[in-house]
Amino acid sequence: MELDSIKDAFDRVTKKQKLSSSKSHEVVDQIHLELEQVLQKIQLADNPECPVNLKSVFSELKTKLKDIAPLTQLESTQKELNTALTKYPKLVEKSFNPDISKAYRNVDFDRHTVNQIIASHFYRQGMFELGDCFISEAGESESAASMRSPFQEMYQILEAMKSRNLDPALNWALNNSNKLNECGSDLLLKLHSMQFMEILQNGDRHDALKYARTYLAPLASNHLAELQKLMACLLWTGRLDCSPYSQSQLLSVTNWENVAEELIRQFCNFLGQSYESPLGVTVAAGVQGLPPLLKFMNVMAGKKQEWQSMKQLPVPVELGREFQFHSIFVCPVSKEQSTEENPPMLMLCGHVLCKQSIMKMSKNSTKSFKCPYCPTDIDATRCRQLYF
Amino acid sequence: MEVDAIPNGSASETAMENAAAATISPTPSKFSGLAESLKLEHQFLRVPFEHYKKTIRANHRVAEKEVSAVISSVTDAADRENMSREEAVHHFTSLVSRLQGLKRKLEEGNRTEQMQAQKCRARLDHLESADADNLAEWNSTRLKRILVDYMLRMSYFDTAVKLSESSNIQDLVDIDVFQEAKKVIDALQNKEIAPALSWCSDNKSRLKKSKSKFEFQLRLQEFIELVRADKNMQAITYARKYLAPWGATHMKELQRVMATLAFKSSTECAIYKVLFEPKQWDHLVDVFRQEFCKIYGMTLEPLLNIYLQAGLSALKTPYCYEDDCTKEDPLSQESFRKLAVPLPYSKQHHSKLVCYITKELMDTENPPQVLPNGYVYSAKALEKMAKENSGKITCPRTGFVCSYSELVKAYIS
Repeated sequence: MELDSIKDAFDRVTKKQKLSSSKSHEVVDQIHLELEQVLQKIQLADNPECPVNLKSVFSELKTKLKDIAPLTQLESTQKELNTALTKYPKLVEKSFNPDISKAYRNVDFDRHTVNQIIASHFYRQGMFELGDCFISEAGESESAASMRSPFQEMYQILEAMKSRNLDPALNWALNNSNKLNECGSDLLLKLHSMQFMEILQNGDRHDALKYARTYLAPLASNHLAELQKLMACLLWTGRLDCSPYSQSQLLSVTNWENVAEELIRQFCNFLGQSYESPLGVTVAAGVQGLPPLLKFMNVMAGKKQEWQSMKQLPVPVELGREFQFHSIFVCPVSKEQSTEENPPMLMLCGHVLCKQSIMKMSKNSTKSFKCPYCPTDIDATRCRQLYF
Repeated sequence: MEVDAIPNGSASETAMENAAAATISPTPSKFSGLAESLKLEHQFLRVPFEHYKKTIRANHRVAEKEVSAVISSVTDAADRENMSREEAVHHFTSLVSRLQGLKRKLEEGNRTEQMQAQKCRARLDHLESADADNLAEWNSTRLKRILVDYMLRMSYFDTAVKLSESSNIQDLVDIDVFQEAKKVIDALQNKEIAPALSWCSDNKSRLKKSKSKFEFQLRLQEFIELVRADKNMQAITYARKYLAPWGATHMKELQRVMATLAFKSSTECAIYKVLFEPKQWDHLVDVFRQEFCKIYGMTLEPLLNIYLQAGLSALKTPYCYEDDCTKEDPLSQESFRKLAVPLPYSKQHHSKLVCYITKELMDTENPPQVLPNGYVYSAKALEKMAKENSGKITCPRTGFVCSYSELVKAYIS
């Protein structure tokens, strides 16, 4: 984005402001000086040796002030400043999108729902004090804080991990080991390995071995390779840094970060929450989605009425990969999205069309047709429905 | 025993890796996306600038007023006959101290102007600082800015201040601007009109330009309060002075309000009853908020609502409302679904297939493969499954078992 010209315009504003400000000072100083001189003269008038004619002093001052013309002076710099002050916002307006609410649909969001979303966002980001403050200031009910205690538990675990204490994390993983198994997570193994390495790094081979027998052995059936690697570390007790494992993941700091990330992921998962803040995701999607919508609104200005009642956005809004949560199939022939009634069908050549398109092209499966993408002859009865 | 492999690739391989890495670097479309999103930040630059401008104008007015007052006072003295020496000394001493006061005021005003200019500059710098390297952090700051904006508009000042301080983004949010609004809003909520009226006179020219009738509405309310207190004569005098000037443009409303003189505040007549209701004051607060936003060049809706609406529409698909909607989709949450109800669905021109197993986008690199039962998964996921289960594939949704060799590729255009 071309910010340089805007910055220049702003520099002009501040330059003129400084000029105008120093001018005001100068003018006021001038008047001040004149008045003080007059005051001195009047005070001297008491002296009988040099009598002062007040009248003439005053009229002298009057002419002097007229010569200074303070108001004209003030105005002259202010004029230049004013020009700069009007130019800058115009330039900003031209370079930016001056009204981002153009594509706003006039629906009232339920305030409590929004507030609850915000409170949950603060809690999931670990900003507990802020969340509490928000709930009380917004006058939301206790239920808005429902996310507080689960996330507090999560942050306690993470805090402990930061100071290399794995006990709370292990506790949680043990309590949830079945669920972790179900979704194929080896978090428990990772935590145990880390604990094992911690003991080993502190130099106690005996304790490490004992730990491995108690906690790692039961996991051996599924993670044999991992386990072998861990046990081999025992050979280098006390000098792991010159072992083949010195560069391995087991000892790295990023391993701790990765495991913490995995823990957050699973913890949120069990809470029925996403890994990323849904508020953050939605706003980020909004930032990407707004520019094309605004462009569209500029084009169809005047059709505001239609916009308020549309069931589907009038233009496609391309979002980044991170916002693709669902499979969407658009039939390349009809350009319609597939539905349950009009599902995607795989033709023998491997190309996919929606059912209605195939029906149309085959005259209701009465004749074969050519695939629109390759020379294959397609028999409609031999197409298969796909499930994404 | 497996030991982590030591990289032993040849030089040519490393070169190829470098070349590959170079092509993955951010695509031009991502940069244009960033530029497009920065263009949404009009309010971010505009609001502090309006504030700055206002201060400059006000300071200038003070200087002009004081200087011309001093000059005319000097002229007065010069034109007066027989001023005694003591009088003259007194007169000029007071003028000198008045100028000293003005000097102090100018210095103070200049300081405020500098501070506000600094804020405008900080925002320009912040916009400039956004690039691909710090995008995650920049976006997180943007979310905080949007949240502070929401809180300020909802008058949640404590939380707004706390959030901006704890994140060190004071220069990037408009708490100072909203302090001005807070005074007026607090007063209106206490059924006091004076601060709102003085705000109107401070912003007279701007309000006039936008043909605002906020001041008229305030006057109407004051009139109603007189009627409520049974001070009918006073009410009439008030109406002559403050309501009559609006007659030319707002006759209907004026007549309606005048008619309340014929009713008591306990009237059951629906047309007039509503004028006496306390929610009129809430209405005034709403009108004030709108006028305030207009004057500072803010959107009338909180930024949060605007972004949420655009985001929800862009994310909304019929699949979001199904039971197996992935939790990573904000629209899997009840609260987000509720907000999205009145909003349109997104529109797609191209197929986008997300692998059920890995949740990754399927494309030419990672193409979709079809099981004999018609279920589709990514090649990556199926290869891994086959490798781990000696060539056997089990459909995670139906339990159907087949062999890796039975898979066929689907071509999605």
